Amino acid sequence: MTNATGFDSGRSGRGAAYVSDRSGAAHAKFMKLTARALAPLAIVSAWTLIGVVGEPYEAARAVIGRPISALALIGFIVIGAVHARYGMETIIDDYVHDPAKRELALKANKWVSTAIAAVWTLAILLIAAPR
Amino acid sequence: MTQQADTEGLAARRPLSPHLTVYRPMLTMMMSIAHRITGAALYASVLLLALYLLGLAFGPGAFGLVSWIANGFIGHSVMFLFTWALFHHFLGGVRHAIWDRGLYMDPKGRELLAQGTLFGGVGLTVVFWIVAALAR
Repeated sequence: MTNATGFDSGRSGRGAAYVSDRSGAAHAKFMKLTARALAPLAIVSAWTLIGVVGEPYEAARAVIGRPISALALIGFIVIGAVHARYGMETIIDDYVHDPAKRELALKANKWVSTAIAAVWTLAILLIAAPR
Repeated sequence: MTQQADTEGLAARRPLSPHLTVYRPMLTMMMSIAHRITGAALYASVLLLALYLLGLAFGPGAFGLVSWIANGFIGHSVMFLFTWALFHHFLGGVRHAIWDRGLYMDPKGRELLAQGTLFGGVGLTVVFWIVAALAR
């Protein structure tokens, strides 16, 4: 692979592509990794959640409570919440410039994304628990 | 602080070239914006669904407060838009994964992937909902 600028980063293998020494590479790799994990989980979760639409209380609980559905939903939200958190961080980085507001927004993002994952997981476990 | 306010005021007063007002909208550009918007919409959706799941976990009384999220006209609309955003964002991610490997980066390839994201997202949504309705 030829390098137009002739700059040698000293890295080899997959790392050779990451020439910049800024911190974006770790984020980008994480987003791609979580995206791959989320692909099948999102499909199963979408199917499950469509199945819940319009259903009354007991029927909705039965749909969510099935083992495969429950596991897929939990996997989806645990990985998805971190994926969403990093995604929202890029949005905050782009649009919020005031330092105080930025700090607040980044903190709020961290809390909300963690809370969403925790609430989903615990609620699904409660729903799927055998009576 | 005054120095910062000064530079910010300075930045606000500096003339800016037109961008959004003059750039011709292209599909790849629109899909990039849509990728971000669907991502944010999914964030809001999982927040709403967290409330819904809490209602399901707590009992019929609590469920009555949150059932609007998935039942009735509003619920159906919310869930339809949620699944559309999910499939669109998913296909957008696939598009980026393909581009990361250096494939389909020529003008025709880019258009193809962008169209695939748009129409594929709608198509997947419609297919899933139809099959779900038939399976009930």
